[in-house]
Amino acid sequence: MGNITNIVDIDSELALQTPQEILRYALENHNNIAISFSGAEDVVLIDMAYKIRKDLQVFSLDTGRLHTETYRFIEQVRKHYNINIDVVYPEASRVEKLVKEKGLFSFYDGDHKECCGIRKIAPLRKQLLTVDAWITGQRRDQSPGTRAAVPVMQDDKAFARPDEKLTKFNPLANWTSKQVWDYIRENNVPYNELHDKGFISIGCEPCTRPTGPGQHEREGRWWWEEATLKECGLHAVNIQKQTL
Amino acid sequence: MTKITMVKKIFADGSPCKKCGEVEEKMREAGQLEQLDKIVIAYEADPQSEGMQLAAKHNVDRAPFFIVEPESQDAKIYTVYFKFVKEVLNAKTSEDEELKEIMNDVDLDFL
Repeated sequence: MGNITNIVDIDSELALQTPQEILRYALENHNNIAISFSGAEDVVLIDMAYKIRKDLQVFSLDTGRLHTETYRFIEQVRKHYNINIDVVYPEASRVEKLVKEKGLFSFYDGDHKECCGIRKIAPLRKQLLTVDAWITGQRRDQSPGTRAAVPVMQDDKAFARPDEKLTKFNPLANWTSKQVWDYIRENNVPYNELHDKGFISIGCEPCTRPTGPGQHEREGRWWWEEATLKECGLHAVNIQKQTL
Repeated sequence: MTKITMVKKIFADGSPCKKCGEVEEKMREAGQLEQLDKIVIAYEADPQSEGMQLAAKHNVDRAPFFIVEPESQDAKIYTVYFKFVKEVLNAKTSEDEELKEIMNDVDLDFL
């Protein structure tokens, strides 16, 4: 209970702070901490973190299906900040098996989770086994349905090593897309050229498309699937309000 | 002696949450239900129900979850089924099953 209370308390305190202050807390309290960089506007995390500490651990998941522009951008960021970006790959045998059994575009026939599981989540899990904390660019405004309650700091139970703690920081949780882009422009941060071509959310090439005026950014991802409701939530925040 | 409690959620219309049903069925097939000391219900419509109170107490926002209480030690909470069965029940799980559970439970679409 002590640890849970601690994380909730720190999260409540950090939630009132700026992304830079949250990042400073994360980087000063964890030596073995890595930034997950998707090759999109989460580059602001690298810019902010670099101003705090130069020896950053950054990793990117190369699914093998990214846009050429994203590969170019990852390389640009590596050179711009003179940092190592650990590019992480899926297990070749698992990709081969998937493609052999279901073809190169199986996600259009079912849902994207099987392919994402092999190309993104398995390598992510392997990578996270090597760190004590990680930093993501998740924001609440990216998906009002499923991310409305993204905390700035959380205990990551899904990816933690057995009997150990893994802390996940989401410093941009409270920022809007506009704030991110204002930061990019004001600080001359390099950005993925796909953004100039109408892409807001950037993922794998077959599963990402530009969005039109008035469309939410999530409409540019897996557009052939219906939005699914997460039905197992217990809304603990509401429970706390009623019981404490 | 370790006490193990499972908390599962029941919607206001009386139906179980999908994952709770799936997990319970898996545990039944694997003969793991007998290893639980207690199954507690979190009634969506009743914030005072025992399961909802336990969720609040342990700051858990997902169902099902497991409370593992070794004698004279702090309770440990498991919200990830495969971790619970691997670490507490010493059962084997496949990587495919583990990835599937992670994908269904955690919003990782930002990656």
